[in-house]
Amino acid sequence: MTNDVAMNVDVDLDIIAEQVWSAFLNSGEDEAIFAADDKGSHADLAASVAMVGAYEGHLVVSCSHKASRDVASVLFAMEADEVSQDDIGDALGELANVLGGNVKSVLPSPSQLSLPRVSATEHERWPGTVEVCRTVVSWRGEPFVVSLLSGGHAVHKTQEVPA
Amino acid sequence: MLGIVIDDSRAMRKILRGLLADLGFEVLEAGNGQEALELLQSTGRVPDLALVDWNMPVMTGLEFVVEARKIAELRQMTLMMVTTESEHGQIVRALAAGAHEYVIKPFTRDGIIDKLALLGLVPVGVL
Repeated sequence: MTNDVAMNVDVDLDIIAEQVWSAFLNSGEDEAIFAADDKGSHADLAASVAMVGAYEGHLVVSCSHKASRDVASVLFAMEADEVSQDDIGDALGELANVLGGNVKSVLPSPSQLSLPRVSATEHERWPGTVEVCRTVVSWRGEPFVVSLLSGGHAVHKTQEVPA
Repeated sequence: MLGIVIDDSRAMRKILRGLLADLGFEVLEAGNGQEALELLQSTGRVPDLALVDWNMPVMTGLEFVVEARKIAELRQMTLMMVTTESEHGQIVRALAAGAHEYVIKPFTRDGIIDKLALLGLVPVGVL
């Protein structure tokens, strides 16, 4: 499907982000601000999943090193200074996977979701894509930018082609 | 009771392992469907419950369900998909392949426990 068609999708990233942060990160109202201001946000890491099929694009969540460490700390139930780089990659990748799966459910179907990929933002590029929508979640004082991209080539290994 | 958590995310495995352990389950773990089949074959153990992710490398959760249903010794194992795949068609495919229940991530602890209770897999007195 082309970018033009994909650009017409109606996705409320704010609601999806709120659901995911609440259930996945056990985030209380005092910890998170949804649809936050992204002025001055700085991202060191980006986790993404690709969508291929009726909708082609990527769901990307990017954040600082500190923010990614906090996510791993919560999911692995460890102190922030105890989590490893592998833990951070695993946790941030799963966050992108859960966000991507929920976003995919309101996009044209059927589509496949790739396995997540996590990398430094300075190395991450999604050529040929346009941003369809974005939201910012401020969690524990750190911004997470969640972006839905349309178009481009899916560079991730994909799984399971739906019938 | 014995449970197995099959998910390529170590974080998710830890969360689900903790949940099942709190319910009194002994818990095995595998990072994909193939690893799970090999673990069950090598140990000869038959879990009462398998919590199965969909999108995993090597062997997906759906492929695991299909393969597990072919193995006579595993036919008593209850299969619950725990996945971000939430398209109606995907849910139907999983249930048709032999999954007993389907939970969409992000889940709540109570949501999983409610499903397990309906399946008769929560020990009396835990709830």
